[in-house]
Amino acid sequence: MSENQNEKLYPESLMSFWMKSATDFWKSTDRMWPDATEPFQSEGLKKQFQKLESAPKMWQSFISAFSAPESMNAVFKGVDILPEVVLQTLQSGWGGYSDLQKKWLEKASRMGKQSEAYKFEDIDKDLFKAFAEVYEKEFSQFLNVPQVGLTRFYQERMGQTLDRLNLFEIALSEFMNLLYLPVEKSTKAISETLEEVTKRGELSENFEEYYREWVKILEGHYMVLFKSTEYIQVLNNVLDAGENYFSARNHLIEDILQLFPVATNKDLDELCKEIYLLKKEVKKLSKKVAGLK
Amino acid sequence: MSEPKIPVDLIMKKLAEDSEEVLKTVQKASDVLLGPLDTAISTTPCDIVYEEDRIKVKHYKPKAGVKLKTPLLLVYALINRETMLDLQPGRSAIQNFLDEGVEVYMIDWGYPTRKDKYLTIDDHVNGYMDNVIDFIRERHNISKINLMGICMGGTFSVMYAALHPEKIKNLITTVTPTYFDIDTGLLHIWMKTIDVDRMIDTLGNVPADMMNLGFLILNPARLMIDKYVGFLKNIGNKNFVENFIRMEKWIFDSPDVPGETFRQFITDLYKKNLLIQSKMELGGRRIDLKKITMPLLNFYGKYDHLVPPEACERLTEAVGSNDTQDLCLDTGHIGIYVSSKVQKEFAPRIAKWLKERDKPEKGHSSRKKPVAKATATAKKPSARTSSPKKEKKKTAA
Repeated sequence: MSENQNEKLYPESLMSFWMKSATDFWKSTDRMWPDATEPFQSEGLKKQFQKLESAPKMWQSFISAFSAPESMNAVFKGVDILPEVVLQTLQSGWGGYSDLQKKWLEKASRMGKQSEAYKFEDIDKDLFKAFAEVYEKEFSQFLNVPQVGLTRFYQERMGQTLDRLNLFEIALSEFMNLLYLPVEKSTKAISETLEEVTKRGELSENFEEYYREWVKILEGHYMVLFKSTEYIQVLNNVLDAGENYFSARNHLIEDILQLFPVATNKDLDELCKEIYLLKKEVKKLSKKVAGLK
Repeated sequence: MSEPKIPVDLIMKKLAEDSEEVLKTVQKASDVLLGPLDTAISTTPCDIVYEEDRIKVKHYKPKAGVKLKTPLLLVYALINRETMLDLQPGRSAIQNFLDEGVEVYMIDWGYPTRKDKYLTIDDHVNGYMDNVIDFIRERHNISKINLMGICMGGTFSVMYAALHPEKIKNLITTVTPTYFDIDTGLLHIWMKTIDVDRMIDTLGNVPADMMNLGFLILNPARLMIDKYVGFLKNIGNKNFVENFIRMEKWIFDSPDVPGETFRQFITDLYKKNLLIQSKMELGGRRIDLKKITMPLLNFYGKYDHLVPPEACERLTEAVGSNDTQDLCLDTGHIGIYVSSKVQKEFAPRIAKWLKERDKPEKGHSSRKKPVAKATATAKKPSARTSSPKKEKKKTAA
């Protein structure tokens, strides 16, 4: 076998060849976009096409990072250091995270200042919105990359399950944050009371009084929060996200169970329904027979 | 505005002063928690006289003799368990009924599993409840029994009484929601917006833990914080600890709720409010509340946060009976059954009301059948007794 042939069979060369073909494909696809968008004059559609245009560009940057010799070495020969490819891929994610961190810091510095007693219209929604946006823009897309080949359905379900788990966790965090807000507001209220009575020199020896007062304020805040449209919206979001996740997880479990000689959820549900209908019919007939007797 | 300054130094000083007291409490707490504790619930002796699928019927007989000819069937909700009515000696509605000479039957709905997820309200009301009631009628050789429903079990009882009025002598509803188009109870607000179809399609049965979390979140300040602060404060008091643990056992002993039943309950009741309008259907039959012609006693709690008075009080106006009474007690949802103060009047009042209406039946066959432990069979309904004189009352207690 010639040295040249050896090179061709070597994985690095194969990978480079595949990547070059893929990049060429995207390049040619990219060139098609301007023509394709011409018939669509509306702003909304143009925006959609602009989004699509970014996909091949992203692929190009991803491929060029991956094609770099040091990355290929890292992939095929094992790594001791973080390869360039990972750094480059994560770069955009860090950008989003630093924004998020900034917002967290802003939120921390505002703690106790911004929230007004018994009002929940001024909830700091931006933080979770930003988090959700960062996730959806920078991470979610990787879990939803179209899968190919024999196992595509399984891979797709795995990706979807992870994606939905993450979205559920984001929704849950927002919900938990909302549940914490009354604690923040009531603590502020009671600390103001304490400051006031201390200034007047009327601080009670019995701190239980203040605890009782705090619980009362806290209860009041929760009652207002729970009736607010903001809370109901967040509650529904977390339920939706949870149900999405459970549904995806169930599909994944279904796939896994199919590998074993056991009944799947679907099998059992069908069986349960059949038993339920049969029992119902038998009971109805038993009553009829008893009536005839 | 500057941040409020909390007098931490004073708080710390107070804590230091209290430390001796704390040490004593800790010592007492360890004695109580490590020593023998009586935390058993549902201890009143009973027999299981009927079983069907997951459900059981408990039978309680008064030791001092039966003073009421017609037995009373208690129907609890599918949420939490019927053990609440027999929480502990001295705080047992069941025991109080027995002391009044009332013979009691009580449905134990058991723990629904995956195979129960397709069970509808129709299966519970026209299926299980009807079978149990037929069984009791047959066992006592009577055409009608007294029926008392609790919360969701009360709603089921209202449905049953409207569909089978010939089998019910007197109806008692306690903390029973029948009017759902209100915005005073958080449950009523939340349930209107949830996507119940999606929830049931995904989950099957509604998990007990999810329901419990939902109830805790109704009042986190009291149920998740203050309650346990109270427990810690009284941790050295054996009697308090025993009662507290009994209540904890009951609260978190929750069965899952059959999915299709939950779906229908939320859709037809919380979202569409069909029952009070006599538009709800079960098994293809419309529930006409005007067919409830037997005497009706309707209890509810003034401070009930789960089923507010507004959700209960319209029933007496909607039914066809001339003998109805509303009783609003100064308590909450659970307090009606477990508060020592309310207990003194709750069961005796019901017993008195029943005794006043416990007339002997006319023209019912005296043929007795052996006790069955299987699906009970339906009997031909006997002639209806005439309604007593018109009596509509509204009482606050």
